[in-house]
Amino acid sequence: MAKVTVDGRTVEVPAGTLVTDAARAAEVHVPIFCSHQKLPPLGACRICVVEVGTPKLGPDRQPVIGADGTPEIAWMPKVQTGCTTTVSDGMHVRTVSETAVKARKGVMEFLLVNHPLDCPVCDEGGECQLQDLAFAFGHDFSRMDEAKRTFDSEDLGPIVKKEANRCIVCMRCVRYCDEVMGENALTAHQRGVYTEISSFDRQPLACEQCGNCIEVCPVGALTALPYRFKARPWDLRQHITICEWCPNGCSVRLGVRGMEILRARGTEFRGVNQEYLCARGRFGHEFVNAPDRLTAPLVRTGAALQPATHDEAVAYASARLRDIAATHGPEAIAFLGGEKLNIEEQYLLQKLARAVIGTPHVDARTRPAAAVAGDALLRATGGGRPALSFEALTDAQEVLVLFEDLQGEAPFAQANIVRGFRQRDLHVTVAHSRRVKLARPRFKGDWLGLKPGTELALTLGLTRAALELGVPDGMPAEAAKALSASVAAFTPEKTEAETGVASAAITAAARRMREASRKALLFGRGVLEHAAAPVLLQAIENLAWSVGAITAETSSVMAFGPHHDSAGALEMGLTPDHLPGFVAAGDPAARAAYEKVWGRALPGEGSSARAALAAAAEGKVRALWIFSDELLSSAPDRALVERALEKCELVIINEMFLTRTAARAHVVFPVAAFAEKEGSTVNSERRLQKSNRALSPRRGARADWEVLQSVAQALGADWRYRSAEDVFREIARVVPGFRGLSYASLLPQGVQLSGPALAPRLQPVAPVAPAASAAGEGLWLLSGGTLFADGSLSARSNTLAKLAGSARVHVSPAEASRLGVGAGDMVELAGPAGSARFAVEVDDSVPAGAVFVPSAGSELNRLGAPSLAGLRVQARKAGAAATVGA
Amino acid sequence: MSRGPFLFSDIDKPGLAALDVYAQGGGYETVKATLGKVPADQVIEVVKASGLRGRGGAGFPTGLKWSFVPKASPKARYIVCNADESEPGTFKDRELMEKNPHLLIEGMILAGYAIGSNLGYIYLRGEFEYIQRILDRAIAEARAAGFLGDSVMGTGYKFQVHTHLGAGAYICGEETALLSSLEGFRGQPRLKPPFPAVEGLYACPTVVNNTETLMAVPAILKNGAAWYRQWGTEKSAGTKVLSVSGQVKRPGNYEVPLGYSMKQLIEVECGGMKDGLRVKAVIPGGSSVPLLPAADLDTGLDYESMNAKGTFLGSGGVIVIDNQTCIVDALWNITRFYEHESCGKCTPCREGTYWMSEVLERLENGHGKPEDIDLLADVADNILGKSFCALGDAAAMPVQGALKHFREEFEHHVTHKTCLANRRRAEVAGVGA
Repeated sequence: MAKVTVDGRTVEVPAGTLVTDAARAAEVHVPIFCSHQKLPPLGACRICVVEVGTPKLGPDRQPVIGADGTPEIAWMPKVQTGCTTTVSDGMHVRTVSETAVKARKGVMEFLLVNHPLDCPVCDEGGECQLQDLAFAFGHDFSRMDEAKRTFDSEDLGPIVKKEANRCIVCMRCVRYCDEVMGENALTAHQRGVYTEISSFDRQPLACEQCGNCIEVCPVGALTALPYRFKARPWDLRQHITICEWCPNGCSVRLGVRGMEILRARGTEFRGVNQEYLCARGRFGHEFVNAPDRLTAPLVRTGAALQPATHDEAVAYASARLRDIAATHGPEAIAFLGGEKLNIEEQYLLQKLARAVIGTPHVDARTRPAAAVAGDALLRATGGGRPALSFEALTDAQEVLVLFEDLQGEAPFAQANIVRGFRQRDLHVTVAHSRRVKLARPRFKGDWLGLKPGTELALTLGLTRAALELGVPDGMPAEAAKALSASVAAFTPEKTEAETGVASAAITAAARRMREASRKALLFGRGVLEHAAAPVLLQAIENLAWSVGAITAETSSVMAFGPHHDSAGALEMGLTPDHLPGFVAAGDPAARAAYEKVWGRALPGEGSSARAALAAAAEGKVRALWIFSDELLSSAPDRALVERALEKCELVIINEMFLTRTAARAHVVFPVAAFAEKEGSTVNSERRLQKSNRALSPRRGARADWEVLQSVAQALGADWRYRSAEDVFREIARVVPGFRGLSYASLLPQGVQLSGPALAPRLQPVAPVAPAASAAGEGLWLLSGGTLFADGSLSARSNTLAKLAGSARVHVSPAEASRLGVGAGDMVELAGPAGSARFAVEVDDSVPAGAVFVPSAGSELNRLGAPSLAGLRVQARKAGAAATVGA
Repeated sequence: MSRGPFLFSDIDKPGLAALDVYAQGGGYETVKATLGKVPADQVIEVVKASGLRGRGGAGFPTGLKWSFVPKASPKARYIVCNADESEPGTFKDRELMEKNPHLLIEGMILAGYAIGSNLGYIYLRGEFEYIQRILDRAIAEARAAGFLGDSVMGTGYKFQVHTHLGAGAYICGEETALLSSLEGFRGQPRLKPPFPAVEGLYACPTVVNNTETLMAVPAILKNGAAWYRQWGTEKSAGTKVLSVSGQVKRPGNYEVPLGYSMKQLIEVECGGMKDGLRVKAVIPGGSSVPLLPAADLDTGLDYESMNAKGTFLGSGGVIVIDNQTCIVDALWNITRFYEHESCGKCTPCREGTYWMSEVLERLENGHGKPEDIDLLADVADNILGKSFCALGDAAAMPVQGALKHFREEFEHHVTHKTCLANRRRAEVAGVGA
């Protein structure tokens, strides 16, 4: 620690702290432009100049004590930049001395020499750091009478507008793009006063379009085209809430005017992400404003859905539910979906199902093709131990990403890995059939490009290679022995033969994971929605223990669910086999606690979403309540969903839009968007975060919890929740793991839940034979989320829809020439269940023998089940007359 | 006729650029006598004792710089020759390399040996393409003769030299910008610390020395520190090559002992002024240093005497300004250079040079206002000591020097809207002599 005195205020800060940070600790304002907390010191803008002095040392190397009894200070002859100077013990800093003020005013004047001062027409005006500092330190007149040098303005693609005249060349954008995003999309052209930021070739930016360059720009040089000239910042109400685009749970600051969200920004020093947002988080909020939002409940009368009042819809839905429960038993009702809801709503959802209606069929996970136990993910991520945080991810030495394209599924996690690589000693290993971004040579990682469908074999091979290095500390010896025996056959050579990944690469990857003291193992939908998900999850749990990613005390495993509150759905018991807090539903003793609180006997284990749909198709389940889930395009088996919707007597859907699935319902409740309701969510770090209401719900829409409560009351339940916070209070009272929490305790930063401590299961898994659909000839159909197309909402956000374009089939150059197609040509893909046509995009990240189609907007489930992995399709060039889609 | 004590003593010898001629005059003897025979530490000690200081402008003691290279670092080390001679008025390295390339190679081998480096780079300014050819030929000769290679002269010491051509930026003469450029990045200075001796080229320990400095090393090691100290003063030992330009009768490079009188240099070596012109001022060390008025011409040409007069010896580019030259015009010319060459990294230099150049243009063209003179002084003061690297200081100091000694010429521009005297303008206009 070092004692530093800034303008007479003495603070103690760790040695090596920058003077600017020490000043912040001392609550002295030192302005900065080029300095940024996520970037190394640059020292370019010079606005942070201060006077720095250290205790004068006498000939005996002891501080000289002055006449007043305090050490004499030797002030440095020149002013120093606070953002590059590190503190030393006894250092004195002056920010308001004559010299420091003159220097700072001088720099301020220089910054305005060529600045156009067009604040009235600049989008940054009102929240511009240059404007603020000019106000604080600048002259009220300009001594600069000369002509200013000028540049032409430039549109760098559909997102970034560049006005180089306003640029102060702080290089934040260039450096952020390079060091945090790993995109290298921006550069500085020319030199001196003619320095101009642009893309390398002055073409539209071909990047992630994250807009973080705009965010970090301290002036109005880079502004967002979608927000251009829309508002002045002082006209906006700004609310920080949790982004709903992926499980990372970034804090997003929504700027709202009237009933419209005009923009989204990050916020420095707030949330897990701070200033960072991806393209979805920053520009994907447009669906909230979409004109086709539902504004009244719809009730089916005959063939048509007719608008109704809420009371009518609630009365109709509850009467039908009561009927069906009375006639066919409560088991004839199933609740599907709910991963997009806040945990309060998830809690009420399953409480309505289990404690009011009495059905055990609750499952939020509508996408997996196989039934996965509710606690399987918790085991695989080392539940009961402190969960891996994003900060720890950046700080990891070795990161192993299993079968996941983080760019599409968890962009912030990817940015953390890129930053760890660029600024710390992170090395990344990506096991993925496609050469996804993190597997590209520029990140100097290792790419285990496995053959599609061999995920389990590679996991077992890695496990064997890790256990060959001995049993890691803390791993139960007996289990390790059994595990070793079970994977003995997966020698690197055999694994290579099966997966196509070089044996040396497998051994090296396992060794790096084992030897790294700080590590992370990441996986996501590629595993959860895999045809063999239950086995694969167990195999990953085994691997995590074998490489030391889970130990007795810690977990370095993070899983990414499909939605922003998928982790919350598991916590809240939206699984057929678990009650909230991972309490086993099949265990009467465990159930008893909830039976006591909720005042009625609870059903045991129910069936998975897939099984419930199958039962509905057979007529055993007669009513479905679906929560914001476009099953027709996202469920693995579209034909099954069709049959189930056809057969059910009652389909209730909570939706914002009249989706194709909603159009098949009997009752549609219009619900509030994420920004329109209060609650809390759980992200992929298992961090429980408070989300806030930024604007009132769209006219006619209600929050899901209100809909659930209305129906529960109509069914006779004595529910009296006045707000989401009331529900949270109940959760904090009854759900293990949430006890003692309150909304207040989630501010300013939420807490990481650890979940109940489960004994390691470490069951050996048997290699499974490839699924029937995986056998046979044809190309492997790979799918997954992409950055710009992610679910049904991205298509309703103009900016994202524009960035994504229509769904295309990505084929490798080799495959394209074999098929005789080029970019833009149409290709027909035929699967066991049907066919679809897509335009071709030639993409060298796709392996030969496979095609990739983004999962969103492409309705791949028309080709057959399952859609995400393990499907072979026939591809052929389609005729010229073919159009997009079928 | 010998043009200097040792660097220039036989510089005009025909064919000196060829290895055999160079070897006849004792070339590479020091390499043979040093490698494997004298410990590297001792080489550094001799250079320290000789008092040799960096000849690129800053005058940092060379031996001390070498001793900063961490002994224990497991990383590769590099020796880089700064041959980006871009300081206006300086043209010494050009002649030295052109005529005696093997001396530079020998100096680099010895410096590399001293710091334990196996690889050296010669970073040449973009315009030195023809010198690159001369050096490449000399390097090939040296390699063929065994002075460069995996085992220099069979001693087991491995050393290679490569040349690298810059892309034409003045800033790349700044050592960290030079290293950025050498690595293939934008030529901009880097934050110090870490200093290049600890983290330089590719984040490895690196010593960057000026061409003239490295060329002085073989003779020092051959003849000893005391021999070198026969020239110069106590603190400024040895000789310095000065590049004299301006309206003198014999402009050119002169190697003189440090402490030599400026007056003597102009009047004896250079043969005095041309066409009856008189000296108005001298810029002693390249355009980056404040000028010295004619009254101070008897100042000694060494680091300390120059500092005492408020200027610097710098790179030794002596620019003689005659009495028919307008100081405002000359200063505008210099400032335009810095405006053009500012890399743009830091605010004071990027914006300040532009501003000063604009104000000077107005003053010179007779549109100046009385407050412009104080404005110039204040802008220069706001750059000085606030810029990222020395380029900003280099742009500010000539302005301050000119204002200090020739303020009346600026005032004349404001009041009379014209120059006191301006030979250049007259010539351009086609009038006058």
